Amino acid sequence: MKLALIGCGGMGALHAAMAKAAGFEVVLCADAVEQAARDLAARHGARWSTNPESAARDVDADVVAIATPTPTHLPLIRAAAEAGKHIFCEKPFCRTVRECREAIRVAKKHRVKLFVGHVVRYFQEFEAMRHKIREGRIGNVGWVKLTRGGIMPGGLDSWFRDYVQSGGVTLDCMIHDFDWLRYVFGEPERVYAQALMRGEPHPMDYAQATLRFRGGLIATVIGIWAYPSGFRVTAEICGEKGMLRYDSNDASLAVHPRTVATGPTMIVPLNPVEKSPYQMEWEDFANWLAGGGEPRVTPGDAMAAVAMAEAALKSAETGQPVRFSGRIDA
Amino acid sequence: MKIRVAILSFAHMHAWSYAACLRQLPDVELCGIWDDNRKRGREAAERFETLFMADMDRLLARKPEAVIVTAENVRHRELVERAAQAGCWVLCEKPITTTIPDAKAMIQACAKAKTGLGTAFPCRYATPVKLAREKIQAGELGEIHAVTCTNHGQSPGGWFADERLSGGGATMDHTVHVADLLRWMLNREFTAVYAEVGNQLHRRDLKTDDLGSLHMTMQGGVQVNHIASWSRPKSFPTWGDVTMEFIGEKGVMRLDAFNQKIDVFDDDAGRLTWDGWGDNPDLGLVADFVEAVRHRRPPSVTGEDGLRALEVTLAAYRAARTGKTVAL
Repeated sequence: MKLALIGCGGMGALHAAMAKAAGFEVVLCADAVEQAARDLAARHGARWSTNPESAARDVDADVVAIATPTPTHLPLIRAAAEAGKHIFCEKPFCRTVRECREAIRVAKKHRVKLFVGHVVRYFQEFEAMRHKIREGRIGNVGWVKLTRGGIMPGGLDSWFRDYVQSGGVTLDCMIHDFDWLRYVFGEPERVYAQALMRGEPHPMDYAQATLRFRGGLIATVIGIWAYPSGFRVTAEICGEKGMLRYDSNDASLAVHPRTVATGPTMIVPLNPVEKSPYQMEWEDFANWLAGGGEPRVTPGDAMAAVAMAEAALKSAETGQPVRFSGRIDA
Repeated sequence: MKIRVAILSFAHMHAWSYAACLRQLPDVELCGIWDDNRKRGREAAERFETLFMADMDRLLARKPEAVIVTAENVRHRELVERAAQAGCWVLCEKPITTTIPDAKAMIQACAKAKTGLGTAFPCRYATPVKLAREKIQAGELGEIHAVTCTNHGQSPGGWFADERLSGGGATMDHTVHVADLLRWMLNREFTAVYAEVGNQLHRRDLKTDDLGSLHMTMQGGVQVNHIASWSRPKSFPTWGDVTMEFIGEKGVMRLDAFNQKIDVFDDDAGRLTWDGWGDNPDLGLVADFVEAVRHRRPPSVTGEDGLRALEVTLAAYRAARTGKTVAL
């Protein structure tokens, strides 16, 4: 399958490599920033373009991958769907539930397959925890705490810092945890959240949310774009018979560079695995395109995760809990 | 002058530690123990080589300068009032009590008797906590925007699990320490509380809640999440924790107040245990109380402080009941 990649930033470069590992051929790299498009295209022997909309309609491509700022997802999904391309979209699916619903509608109308990269469902450590829960190793689970984040992403002019566009850490980062919680524990009933969303002089976001699920589970989720450096994920899952705990800083490999740059020195803990979860999500998508079963995450799931993040943002704004009514994945 | 201190009830296990602290300090005498559970009281008296009295009036008639009240939560008021009437300084175990009117009555009783009332918040005396507070107050982190806290524990069982004696479960037991630390470290009061509270892990053997996830706002808009829980399994390496992560304008600080420990892999126990090696915060608490008595001043952590922390706890229960944020 031939792939046109739109958005050649950090995630775009990663997806190009992982799609290739999953058997796709990268034929076009598009980015509004010419140098980014050129560099990534050169790495994959692909063509390049500075026009994302036309890249979404590229005649040579069977599949379009979207790794651009969140508010651009819907117009690019629409363009690709209208051109009959299957679509791989980076999370968050869209900025709002309304946009998600429209994206699902156009994909259905044009009979193209749409996949949203909720990659945490493929992470080995999260799968290990999910299996232990299902096997009953810790009995009935009553409380979960997930924390995720680190430094504020992007450069000084990054779109991430525009909270209206990015939805801050709540929509962009905690959405992973919202999705995983719903994947493992079912439908949420209500959410309460607080979100910092600070601007100058030190832009940072920090959000704290508590969700109550229909099954009674209480889940606390902390999203962090506020550390001076690094990235960390932790999970603590308490059941009637025991508790699971994971900390990404407690890693199998850590590299400490001796050179000290002008900025903070970042020590990145590494937990290498043979097959990246990003490759696994691409393989799951490829299998679906080849006529295999539905992938682990559906567009409805991705929309539900946006609904949870949107509700959290609304709660943060109003200072009151927000209840979910009806199905949030349809 | 030797300060004579009596202990009223060993219902709360902290009494054992406070008694040991009294014996460690100079010029202090543990002059007697009262307990409505005679067996428990006698055992404690024997262990600490003091007198057991089944009649509280007789113990108070011996004119101790001070008492430590470590009874079940709902009994605090009666014991504090009787001690105050006898002219004693009082150190009351946390939570100060279980209702606002009771807490106010206790404060008033001590004020009327012109004695000092302290709330036992030993975390203020934990050395890492003190250093963390110094750093905040010296401005090392700049303005504090957000804090995420935990006070986890194992399920204590016994009267803690009986709401008629405890006034509530883990949220009652494990909110006040951190609420007090936040007020003390940030010099701010709480303005609003929301909470999800439930019996999440002990439905078979516990009638109270065992977990509360509290979202609080402090003056100036500081956003706080706190988990009060009895969520640590029996196989957990220690009793629990007190942790706080501060997000400041100029930096981030993570406090794990009791994370001064040795990993002990003990084949006899069949599990890992964490043995602490840090300073004993209870000793600082009891030493301050004794000095307060000696100098006829109020203890550093007062009954008012106990009341403020209780207000947060009760607001959390109310928010959980009504599904709405409660303003303070």
